[in-house]
Amino acid sequence: MPLKGIRTVTAARNGVGAFILQCKRLDFHYCDWAGSSRGMVSFLKHSLPAFAKENPQIEIRVSPRPHKHPVIKGHYINGREKAVCVRNLEPEQILQKANLLKEASGEKLKRTKKPVTSINESVRGIWSPYHGDLRTI
Amino acid sequence: MFSRSALARAFALPLEQAARPSLTRTTTFRACLHQATTTAPTTQAEEPLSANRRTESSTPDTHPTRQTPSTTTFRTDLPPSKQPIPPTFTNPLRVSQSLLTTLPYLTSQKPHYISAHLHDRPYLLTEGDELRLPFRMPNVAPGDVLRFNRASVLGSRDFTLKGSPYIDERLFECRVRVMGVDSEPLRVKEKTKRRRRHVQRVTSKHRYTLLRVMDVKVKTVEELKSQGEVVVVEDEKA
Repeated sequence: MPLKGIRTVTAARNGVGAFILQCKRLDFHYCDWAGSSRGMVSFLKHSLPAFAKENPQIEIRVSPRPHKHPVIKGHYINGREKAVCVRNLEPEQILQKANLLKEASGEKLKRTKKPVTSINESVRGIWSPYHGDLRTI
Repeated sequence: MFSRSALARAFALPLEQAARPSLTRTTTFRACLHQATTTAPTTQAEEPLSANRRTESSTPDTHPTRQTPSTTTFRTDLPPSKQPIPPTFTNPLRVSQSLLTTLPYLTSQKPHYISAHLHDRPYLLTEGDELRLPFRMPNVAPGDVLRFNRASVLGSRDFTLKGSPYIDERLFECRVRVMGVDSEPLRVKEKTKRRRRHVQRVTSKHRYTLLRVMDVKVKTVEELKSQGEVVVVEDEKA
């Protein structure tokens, strides 16, 4: 008898039972010297503590990145990362960008035509001409 | 492959169900349960409006069962803006005797599918599906639970409950979880005018709400009766 692997009964699907936010980490990079980081520095000083308190499930890292524009990077549980450059932005705009990264799914952006994607089998089954009763016209 | 037990149960349907004019006698295993044939005309005129209002407000409603139709309990774990709103219907649910006898067939046969309507668009959903709405839903955050209360069709492999046009929202539960907001790649539309060497590029980038279907459930007769909202009416035309 050949050895058989254990087949998975169900696929883990986030949100059906427990829900985990897709964004797991946000990195904030800034530069102390450059003028494009002015809004970012102000955001880090004033708005970031409240933002971090609102979202305890997200790990937040702040680190300098000298001689570069300020960047927010989001890391997602599907392994991807998403980076947004926030040069010359006001603190409110940076907060919007942080919220965008927080709510994003981490997937690559795609244009889809169908609203529903399903991995379930068809509930009603596939129609077969060989089953069922005969119809007389 | 259809299961033999379901077939046997389907053939054991009561006679008045099988002898309906809309059904041929040979198709007993695709039985249709018509829900709204027994709805009173007053409720029919009123309920779609109330259901519409609740759907459009899209307030998260996480109550599994309601005890009384007029009051809901205050939930301490939710902010005041996200409290479940009380149901807007006033009349108790009216079901016919034939629906009461045939509903267990549908309830016991899993899985179920539902054709849920949101802003008058149908979405064919089963449990665990991912739904990307064609718009961004306002005032929701990731993790919120919404309850869809409008459905036109609800069914399993062999049985279907059809509403005319919608099923009463107290007969089923369909919950979805807000997963987040997705975006599409930047679209660039090139616009030109005649005899002008200039191309205007219009960009757009829409955002969409991602939802995940948590459960699709048909309530059992016992649950309907325990809500204390069931009024059994006799069939006017059997």
